[in-house]
Amino acid sequence: MSDTTPTLLSVEDVYAGYDGSDVLHGVSLDVHAGEFVCVIGANTAGKSTLLRTISRLVPKSRGRITFDGTDLMSLKAHEIPKLGIAHVPEGRHVFPDMTVEENLLLGAYTLRQDPVYKERLEKAFTLFPRLKERRRQWAGTLSGGEQQMVVLGRAMMLNLRLLILDEPSHGLAPIVVDEVHDALVKIHEAGTSILLVEQNTSLALSVASRGYVLESGEIVLAESAKALHDDPKVREAYLGL
Amino acid sequence: MKWWITGAVVLVAAAIVPTFLDPTGYAIRVLTLALLFAALGQAWNIVGGLANQISLGHAAFFGLGAYTSTILLINFGLSPWIGMLAGAAIAAVAAYLLSFPTMKLRGHYFALATLAFSEVLRVIAGSWTSVTGGPVGLSVPFSPDSFWLLQFKSTMPYYYIMLGALVVISGVFVWIRHSSLGYRLRALKENPEAAEVVGVNTTQVKISAAVISAALTATLGTLYAQFTYFFDPEAVFGIIPISVRAAIIAILGGAGTVVGPIIGAFLIVPMEEMANVLLSSRGAGLSQLAFGVMLIAIILIEPRGILALITNGVSRLRRRKSS
Ligand SMILES: Nc1ncnc2c1ncn2[C@@H]1O[C@H](COP(=O)(O)OP(=O)(O)OP(=O)(O)O)[C@@H](O)[C@H]1O
Ligand SMILES: [Mg+2]
Repeated sequence: MSDTTPTLLSVEDVYAGYDGSDVLHGVSLDVHAGEFVCVIGANTAGKSTLLRTISRLVPKSRGRITFDGTDLMSLKAHEIPKLGIAHVPEGRHVFPDMTVEENLLLGAYTLRQDPVYKERLEKAFTLFPRLKERRRQWAGTLSGGEQQMVVLGRAMMLNLRLLILDEPSHGLAPIVVDEVHDALVKIHEAGTSILLVEQNTSLALSVASRGYVLESGEIVLAESAKALHDDPKVREAYLGL
Repeated sequence: MKWWITGAVVLVAAAIVPTFLDPTGYAIRVLTLALLFAALGQAWNIVGGLANQISLGHAAFFGLGAYTSTILLINFGLSPWIGMLAGAAIAAVAAYLLSFPTMKLRGHYFALATLAFSEVLRVIAGSWTSVTGGPVGLSVPFSPDSFWLLQFKSTMPYYYIMLGALVVISGVFVWIRHSSLGYRLRALKENPEAAEVVGVNTTQVKISAAVISAALTATLGTLYAQFTYFFDPEAVFGIIPISVRAAIIAILGGAGTVVGPIIGAFLIVPMEEMANVLLSSRGAGLSQLAFGVMLIAIILIEPRGILALITNGVSRLRRRKSS
């Protein structure tokens, strides 16, 4: 399918890093429209740096990144969500001193009074009914799983075209991980392309159709999820089989 | 009780109190100063409380307000009401320019940079004698009673003017807090990167808060000059008397809340006055020490301030009663 659908996100030969040393060394990857792509890799491989570079949060970066023909390298971080790219950063950053609804509102604050806001809010509440029950509760008092729903719901308040997720399962109980898994599948089925980074490799390979393996800032493997799952190196290094 | 009923009751009480006091006496003077510094803490609260940028340089804007209106009054006979607007505009521009070099600074570095900025202005005010009067300072030409020239023999009109300033600035604070700027500031305070990725232009948000806060602070500088009739560089550009005091008043009471600076000012200002009376000249430098001790105490006991201390206590009592 990746040959027939148009490329949505294209990352070409990207270098990025922090004060002095590069973390990414010439990374290239693509996400096609409607695709669910994952990036797996060990601690400090540079997975978060890769996602943060796409979102323009890493100032020291070079290379080519385009989204549906728009050059992302010339934009600022806060301009990226307007294109329909939602980045859910590592660590589930809800705004704890705001209610659930205020958190969601913030995701759509560019819309302000737009009637579309209500529509999207309803969509988020349909996917996460628990958020509707708790819409007036302080986000900081929610459980980890519920906070994950808030950040996913917040992403859905944009005109969402590409969802970038940094370890959504991290630190969650297994049963909650299943819920997150189901939510991702639903969001994807509704037509959103997804780029997922996970250390939970079996989760990543069970939801994505294609994957990349990132090692020390370089892409060392790019295969279908099934092929990666059957790859002896991946099985040994990332699946512990 | 609903918050606005509480607010209305306090406001009515504040409006009645001076009628029981000697209009030129000591008590009303202390209360007037407390109102002024509550307003200053509130203006500081817009950056310190909402954006969580701990400025130790708000004297810069306070001093710009005091000097601008007074220089215009002395040299051109311009009404301080107009001078106040000029001072606010100059302070706003200064805050806008200052926000570029300090934008990326966090925590202590931001505090130190703002402090350095206000010190530069203090030194300039102390040496540019032809305009600022140098280290001696400036005296407001005495011509009471005139509303247009903002001068009164009695302290009572000043009391109401400072009360008005506190109400207006508190209103601005509440309005910002509940506006879309307020949401964006709160998002920025929680986590700048998470704010950016949901579309918050954190640079613009920080600048907006800094500019509004600076302009309001400058208007208080003008009111202070008109109230005291005389000031020198240290009095309006000073680190301890203005910058640190503004920060401590807000932090002690509860930064980020609208009542925090009011609680803080009505504790600190009368306490300082009492110390001055009791210890007179032997107490020089004591207020610095007291500020330091209070700051350490509040950080150790309840970093969210006295307001949080009170609300925690109340809810604990309620729980005990109900169980
Ligand atoms: N803000 C930063 N400043 C300096 N160095 C950083 C910063 N963020 C990450 N690094 C460094 O970049 C390297 C890659 O980090 P990154 O967070 O991208 O890895 P990761 O693959 O996401 O790891 P993890 O699985 O632990 O989340 C690490 O060596 C890290 O120390
Ligand atoms: Mg990471």
